[in-house]
Amino acid sequence: MTQSDPSRVIASLARDQVNVDLKTVDLCFLAGLHLRAEKAALASFDEDVLIDMFEQICDVVEPGAENPRKRATHAIQRLRDQRMLARVDGAGVVRSGEYTLTRLAAAIVEYFLADEALTRESLTLLTGTLRAQLAEVLASARKANGEDRWRRDVIGPLRVTVSDLVAGIERRQRGLDTQQEEVQAEIATLLSADWFSAVARCQALLDTTTDTLQELNEVLLRDAHHFVALLQEIQTLATSASETEAEETIQRVIEHVDRIAAWGAARQRAWSEYYQYVHRYLRDVVRLDPDRALSQRLRDQLAAWPSRHFHLLIARAPSIRLLRQIESRVERPAVARIRIDRDIEPVWVDTENMLAEIETAVAKAIHDGARTLADLTSAILPMVPHSMHYLATGHMADAVARLAVVCAEYERPWRPVLETLEIEDWITSGSGGAP
Amino acid sequence: MTGSSFDTLEAAVADEHFPDVDLMLRRGRHIGRDDGADYDYLVDAQPLLEAFYRRFGCELVQQSDGYFYLLPLSDRLGRRQLSASEMLVGQTLALLYLDPATLQHGGLVSQEILLQRLSGLLSTQTLVRTLNPRKRKYDERIAAETIRGQVGEALRRLGDLGFIDVMDDTRVRLRPALMRFAEPVRGLQEPSAALERLVARGEVLVDEGNVEEEDANDEDRAP
Repeated sequence: MTQSDPSRVIASLARDQVNVDLKTVDLCFLAGLHLRAEKAALASFDEDVLIDMFEQICDVVEPGAENPRKRATHAIQRLRDQRMLARVDGAGVVRSGEYTLTRLAAAIVEYFLADEALTRESLTLLTGTLRAQLAEVLASARKANGEDRWRRDVIGPLRVTVSDLVAGIERRQRGLDTQQEEVQAEIATLLSADWFSAVARCQALLDTTTDTLQELNEVLLRDAHHFVALLQEIQTLATSASETEAEETIQRVIEHVDRIAAWGAARQRAWSEYYQYVHRYLRDVVRLDPDRALSQRLRDQLAAWPSRHFHLLIARAPSIRLLRQIESRVERPAVARIRIDRDIEPVWVDTENMLAEIETAVAKAIHDGARTLADLTSAILPMVPHSMHYLATGHMADAVARLAVVCAEYERPWRPVLETLEIEDWITSGSGGAP
Repeated sequence: MTGSSFDTLEAAVADEHFPDVDLMLRRGRHIGRDDGADYDYLVDAQPLLEAFYRRFGCELVQQSDGYFYLLPLSDRLGRRQLSASEMLVGQTLALLYLDPATLQHGGLVSQEILLQRLSGLLSTQTLVRTLNPRKRKYDERIAAETIRGQVGEALRRLGDLGFIDVMDDTRVRLRPALMRFAEPVRGLQEPSAALERLVARGEVLVDEGNVEEEDANDEDRAP
């Protein structure tokens, strides 16, 4: 199973607008096909078989429906669109198709048909197989002497056989969860319908489920301990052999086993709470009010609320007043800061206009006969603060371009200026721009 | 021979559970089987503690439904009456406690179910007048909001008193102590006669006429 990022998986499902919309007739059609395939050991169905099955289903679900053949065509298309039926012949229009139920359809039908709740028998069988499988993997791990052997004899069986067995237990646990919900609903229905007469049946239902859960929890606790011990032994061997992939796979199986073991304890605890609640209800409410008159009387009491009401009295002792310890008053100095005049008087300073000064210096240098931009820049730059050298260099090039006639070779040579800069050099030939 | 593991009141008071149990009882909390060790302690020390609290003018009551509470018979320890909203919500919760449908979820009830049951039993006008008596005129939307707010507040207070366990913002678990709200109609006698008996026992106060309830905070009766 791929370990994808859940957010990405969900985003891709949303992007593909995945949905399943099955009507009763569709579900019955799929169930009919599933049962037919099981009975006749069919791997696929001819188109005629599909249509025939749909017509039979239609007779049961919607007797008297018109155009069953046309409806069958639509139903097959609908189920193909929803990835419930797949065409497997690949013959296209050459001949009528051959279809099979997809994994999705099989899972849905099995959910409705199969009674897959966990029982003591199924759990014992599954845990026994799992233990044998793990022992085999352990033996292989002891003998494994290369990456290929580890992958074939350890990682493969752990990912497929062992994971499937653990997932089988987990699936049956969910089945038992559903059964428990049904028992809870049944107890409520029994009491609603029969009240006092239902007490014995409710008690029996409670006791049966309690016993089942207790047995399963005992098996799970005992066997999960063995599984984890075996898996840890395999993990130790994988660590010694520096088989990281095997270690990770074993860790995942250990977590899965821990989860199925925790299920037993959690369900038993939850059921115990429910059991106590129902037991108390049967004893304090149902047995003490066999005619179920109390609810009606209480309803009447509430209905008469505005005209006659009463208030329960309860104790309410005031909180104990805690007196503070006597302590001499401490004078805390007020938080303050020294008062000073933070306004600074303005002073006269010389104006700063570096650009104008650079331009004047450039004009003078050109006038004095500077021949290249590099010479000119090297002459003027020392007059400028060091931090402004880069900026001033650009301004000088700009001023030279405007104040002199400039020519340059096709490949302009790079010349150093002072120690830190290097510029593309131009040749200047007298003043040519604006003054 | 009482079967108690405490020989003397001193031993009962010296038990580690006493301070918490004592404070809970004095604050009006109902301690039931769901409270585990605190309830077991009370069952164990009951004969000794009954005499102890009687000296404070209170009765330590144990109900057959499986809970204890302190009933103030005088003003020595301080007492208060439950507000109209608490009474209304409490009685509705008691009705839900008796309903087998609640059993399916192990006594868990959502606030929505409670409000549905309340509005099915009483008119909106009665609910608004009971839960917000100072309001003479009301707008439907504001009234619904007020009712939800007051019911939520009543649930919180009933949770503090041990009538329910507040699980989260929307769900509560019902406890057997709610049966106190059904006390006037539990027996076979006439409800008015039962009410008189309860008044005589100091369990309830009867308020004839219209509901003019002050907020629960103003209802304290200081010793």
